[in-house]
Amino acid sequence: MAKFEAGMESMIEMFIYETTGLIEQLDNILMKTEADSSFEEDDINAIFRIMHTIKGSAAMMGLESLSRFAHGIEDMFYVIREEKPVINDFTALIDLLLQASDIMKNEMDVIQDDNADVSDLSEQIAHIEDYAKSVKSGSINAQPTPAPAAVAAAEAPPEPAPAQTEPAAAAPVTAAAAPAAAAPAPAAAPVTSELTAVKVFFDDDCKMENLRAFQVIENIQADCAKLEYIPSDIEKNPESAKIIIESGFLIKFQAASDISTKAVIAEIADTPNVKSYEVMTEVPGIASGEPVSMRVFFEEDCKMENLRALLVINNIQYQCTELEYIPSDIETNSASCKVIIENGFLINFTAEDPEAVIKTVETTPNVKSYEILAAESPAAPVTGTPQTSAPKPAETKTEVTKMETQKTPETSAPAPVLSAVEKDAIGTTKAVEKLNSQLGNKTAGSTKQSLISVNLNKLDTLLDLVGEIVITEAMVTSNPDLKGLKLDNFQKAARQLRKLNSELQDTVMSIRMVPLSGAFNKMTRIVRDMKVKLNKDVDLIFEGEETEVDKSIIDQLNDPLMHMVRNSMDHGIEDDPEKRIAEGKPAKGKITLAAYNASGEVIITITDDGEGLDAHKILAKAERQGILTKPANEYTDKEIYHLIMLPGFSTNEVVTEFSGRGVGMDVVRQNIEKIGGSVSVDSKFGYGSVFTIKIPLSLSIVDGMEISVGESIFTIPINSIKESFKVRPNQLVKDTSGREMIMIRGEVHPLIRLYDLYGLESKYTDLNDGIVIHVEADGRYACLFADELIGEQQVVVKPWAQLLNNFGVKSHGMTGCSILGDGSITIILDIATIIGGTN
Amino acid sequence: MAQAQDKMPRGSSVKTMSDGVEILWFNVGDVVYGIEIAYINEIIGIEPATIIPNIPDYIKGVINIRGKVVPVISIRKRFGVEEIPYDERTCIIVLEFDGGLQQVGVIVDRVQEVVVVDHNQITQTPTYQNVNSNRYIKNIIENNSETGEAKLLLDCEKLVWE
Repeated sequence: MAKFEAGMESMIEMFIYETTGLIEQLDNILMKTEADSSFEEDDINAIFRIMHTIKGSAAMMGLESLSRFAHGIEDMFYVIREEKPVINDFTALIDLLLQASDIMKNEMDVIQDDNADVSDLSEQIAHIEDYAKSVKSGSINAQPTPAPAAVAAAEAPPEPAPAQTEPAAAAPVTAAAAPAAAAPAPAAAPVTSELTAVKVFFDDDCKMENLRAFQVIENIQADCAKLEYIPSDIEKNPESAKIIIESGFLIKFQAASDISTKAVIAEIADTPNVKSYEVMTEVPGIASGEPVSMRVFFEEDCKMENLRALLVINNIQYQCTELEYIPSDIETNSASCKVIIENGFLINFTAEDPEAVIKTVETTPNVKSYEILAAESPAAPVTGTPQTSAPKPAETKTEVTKMETQKTPETSAPAPVLSAVEKDAIGTTKAVEKLNSQLGNKTAGSTKQSLISVNLNKLDTLLDLVGEIVITEAMVTSNPDLKGLKLDNFQKAARQLRKLNSELQDTVMSIRMVPLSGAFNKMTRIVRDMKVKLNKDVDLIFEGEETEVDKSIIDQLNDPLMHMVRNSMDHGIEDDPEKRIAEGKPAKGKITLAAYNASGEVIITITDDGEGLDAHKILAKAERQGILTKPANEYTDKEIYHLIMLPGFSTNEVVTEFSGRGVGMDVVRQNIEKIGGSVSVDSKFGYGSVFTIKIPLSLSIVDGMEISVGESIFTIPINSIKESFKVRPNQLVKDTSGREMIMIRGEVHPLIRLYDLYGLESKYTDLNDGIVIHVEADGRYACLFADELIGEQQVVVKPWAQLLNNFGVKSHGMTGCSILGDGSITIILDIATIIGGTN
Repeated sequence: MAQAQDKMPRGSSVKTMSDGVEILWFNVGDVVYGIEIAYINEIIGIEPATIIPNIPDYIKGVINIRGKVVPVISIRKRFGVEEIPYDERTCIIVLEFDGGLQQVGVIVDRVQEVVVVDHNQITQTPTYQNVNSNRYIKNIIENNSETGEAKLLLDCEKLVWE
């Protein structure tokens, strides 16, 4: 970790997590824009923001090269955003950006690799800059807007560029920095020499607040003529994080002459992890002798508000040259309490040192909050008073009304200072509305605050624990010591425990569930790249991507999916569209990724409408490679297709960049088996192939029915059981080849004697003695014959040991095993495979 | 089982520590075999295994070791020696592979002791030996240079994974 300064290690993980997420987001946007072949404004802004954030955090991590790289792209998008140049070669731009995204991904890998050094990206930066220049020059032809130096500056500090262009760009796409000139704060009249004070709060739990603060400073530094901040030792003193958490991070700055204060504030607000900020209006100050109007609210339930108000007046009267207050009869009329509670206590005063007065008010006991209204029109408050409930919500929402929780640029309007009192009345309501609407429309942004990221290891531990609890519960409630005892209360309590446990389990599971869309979306990129390289035109279609599976499964699914999609692209879809047309297929190929839930499993299919598998070719090749285990003519089509999943098999004679090394399908099978799933393939020569991945919904817990066969105990997942019954002799039928069938309500279903299937010694061989379990999977039915039903139990699925997997236990219909309450081991049956194997 | 093998880190072929190699000796009938301590996780008493159908008969099934489901191999069956009833000295040597991810138990008649063997006592397997278990032998340990008594060091990887 030598590439990072000491003390940064804990930040690295977070940085990588955040940045990887951003890059993925970038990829998705690019895929979408490429499909639409145009940049939406939102996309441009989003890309701009992403690059900005990456730039910022990379700089914070000391990754100068990456930061400059991101800066280059950000600059380019600045030009695109502000000048809307006509982009001639759209594909080239997307290509460049995808490349950039790859470079950044690569950097992420490098950072995680202790041995690798951070790459020098100057070449790539130069490349991006060149391109940005060409975009810019193109734009000048198209739209003669002067664009000063926006692209030049890889080495120049980040922000001046946008700010400089601001006056020139007549109609910028977003008004991030624009309102500055249009909205000079009226009453407070910020004299430019004054420092603006902004107090910044960071996201809860964002950690390392001092470094976040440092990032803010880095961001605005270049735009400020003067800059002070408290605590000032953020860079060196990690303890300062505490102060920041408690009392916020106070920045006092004076914007550089060509930059508006608002722009700087917007800059602060845009910095990642900034949760809220407030502009401290006292600092720009109210000039001496200027009339000030303020509204004071007292603590709720403090009682006798009129006398409290009088106290305020008494306190400040000697500091003021003029003083009026409303209601004015506080001393005599105790009913004025109500008015004060409802509307606040309005004070108009002029003073030599208005700030001192405000301070005095603030420190008067029982004063809960106050707001500075405007300086003028002492008569105005009368019109202001009719407002009914407005201050109340304001009061409850924000401690000091002038606080701005707004993060978005459009709301950085000069809320704190309004020129008229009635305006304020509306203003307060508005502020509340704005706050509410923000809560509403910012869902995308604010979801962040209702979500936390948790280390997956912790979730794994949690899940393990829940698994143990389930087993232990069974150990307690079906403890052999309890046999034959009548324990009504115990049973009641046990039921309650079982119910809670199952809720706990469901909750833990749901925490871990993630939609497949993330994994699917990654394929878009792969298909896109291969489309270009292989020169094949293909549509990638998603179905059911909202299907959820366990997080640990998703992680294992990326590689197999990638291999299979690559295979479909490379081997599946024909090289020549003419050939497709000749076969009556559309010229454009189609690959469909579909996912759905079926009886406790998730089924993912990858379907292509390409050439399909050539059974003869596969068989011939397998024979050549000597991987056949029985005479070639004994292989069924399905078995032949499965050969492609054996190690070292690849029909592709030529090794291409994407496939042909014969590792693909083998890796796919292994990875899927590792997570307790299975892969199968079906195909029709000339029409395409379907690869079906079956994975358990979750790795862990299954509701099962235990049955015994001789000494062995098997578990059948409850959701595949239709019913169980004793057979009546007339239900048994035999077909011509002597296979046994059971007739159930007019339908015959094959009978599978488990002891026969697995070569076990059983207690009963006579159908009348044992029990028949009617099972279903994938719409096919069968009847299993076992000795006895033992009972229903939840079991925690344990995957087979590698050694047993090597002998294909799964292909014999055994999904995994589990440990029962008494410590014995049960084998979990996979009904689909059992039924499939007998037909 | 080539793929399985590729994934297993090859057990560091006979560790060459300055003081030699630690080897656990155990009996299968009258024959004494050795296993490098590096592979051994623990030794437990024999317990009945849950039968897993449709696998080679030398894998006796699986046992529950503190919540882990571990397959067990009968070394007699593996060597093609006649199986004998378990007694109080029968035990299971639990081997681990793949950095502890994979555990496999081996049922042996009885374990003897752990002995440090100097490397100059370790010699390669002669090719002419005609013992049934030859394919699982990794090295010959010359136990006593005077009497020429020798013991066999087993190749755990081959024993379990081939």
